[in-house]
Amino acid sequence: MRAELRLRAAPFGAWVRLGDDTLVAVDRDRARRLGLDDAGAWRDDPPPPEAPLEAHIAVTSRCPAACTGCYQSASPEGRHVDREALEATLRGLRDTGVFTVAFGGGEPMLRDDLGSLATLARALGMTPVVTTSGLGLTPRRAAALRDFAQVNVSHDGSPADYLAVRGFEGARQADEAIAMLVSAGITVGVNMVLTRQNVASVAPFSHRLADLGVRELQLLRYKPAGRAASPEYLARRLTPSQAEALGAALKPLAAALEGRLSLRIDCALVPLVAGALGSAAGLERFGVFGCEAGRYLAAVDREGALKGCSFVTESDSRMSIDAFRAFADAPPEPCAGCEFQRVCRGGCKVVATHLRGAMGPDPECPRVMAWERRA
Amino acid sequence: MSDGILRIRRGPGANCSSIGSAVEMLFLSATAGAALLVALNAALDEAAPSPDAPLPEPDPAESDSETPSPGADDAG
Repeated sequence: MRAELRLRAAPFGAWVRLGDDTLVAVDRDRARRLGLDDAGAWRDDPPPPEAPLEAHIAVTSRCPAACTGCYQSASPEGRHVDREALEATLRGLRDTGVFTVAFGGGEPMLRDDLGSLATLARALGMTPVVTTSGLGLTPRRAAALRDFAQVNVSHDGSPADYLAVRGFEGARQADEAIAMLVSAGITVGVNMVLTRQNVASVAPFSHRLADLGVRELQLLRYKPAGRAASPEYLARRLTPSQAEALGAALKPLAAALEGRLSLRIDCALVPLVAGALGSAAGLERFGVFGCEAGRYLAAVDREGALKGCSFVTESDSRMSIDAFRAFADAPPEPCAGCEFQRVCRGGCKVVATHLRGAMGPDPECPRVMAWERRA
Repeated sequence: MSDGILRIRRGPGANCSSIGSAVEMLFLSATAGAALLVALNAALDEAAPSPDAPLPEPDPAESDSETPSPGADDAG
């Protein structure tokens, strides 16, 4: 069966979504051969800002887990976003050309209509995905999630690691959720938040996940937002030596897992591990995205407000979409002179704003730290 | 890269908070990378619409949302 193709014009040519699994940037000649002709985005000078490729949508602020580091400060008292508002959001995102919508919360599984939200996203031509802790999942509910291209379970390792990262005993439920989803024939991924306490277990945990039938492990940097924006952040974040070791471990780990489990890194990890992954040109060619807030990434919070990323949890003019774009257009040193800037785009502004009080180069980037030592 | 292909990103990812990127392709050998491109080119050609089957337009009835455009002015 041939993959479904979606085209979206871009100043360089077009973005092409091929099925759920592949996104390709092509030049104008190839875009024409794919059926796009004389797109408006090719005529405007300067071109308008590109619309997001991916949008994250908070569908609830309710969650019984109340993890100590929850970036959304979700709680059992939280509320679900109205269905009508979510439908309007989905249609608005479709109209702007978004390819992928990722539902989050709070705990999305607490919504009875989660499966039908995925069905609606599909009907609108977008690829729906969702993240869950697994709380509230049953085999019957798992079967209702088949319109999702992938369901990711938040899981941080052994029961002790999970507890250390989240302050909540959820490893068993996460294991059970994985088993239910795999049994239902759903593609399952795992999101693992890396902290000082669990980063050493990435390799053994990834092999265990592969044995459970998980197809992908996404490694996430711990970020100081929501309840994680506390003094504890400094004791939880990766040390520089841990970040360096993580980068060096990715290639052999990917080789060891080949064909069993795919590895992903989140945008905020890019500055920490880029030096171990190859050239900036290589990272760009194979679609590695750093801070895409204000460009290819958008987030819709539980109030329906549009933001650069999900970690901008309060109305904060320091991290407005315009501020993200202004930084990317004219980054300060040392980012301006860094070969990785075009990929990493200055690293995580949530970290920078938390630690320095203003948007700036990521203070935990090894190149930024070296530059500051020299200065 | 090859035949008009500028970038490749794999997987939908399923994280609701930060955008992720697959790393395996970064470590491909030259041979494996070339094979990937050949396969991708073929998949693009196969998926391309024929001249008499234009891409469908969005349903105007569903385009009346008041949700702000992420490409428009900052709403956050």
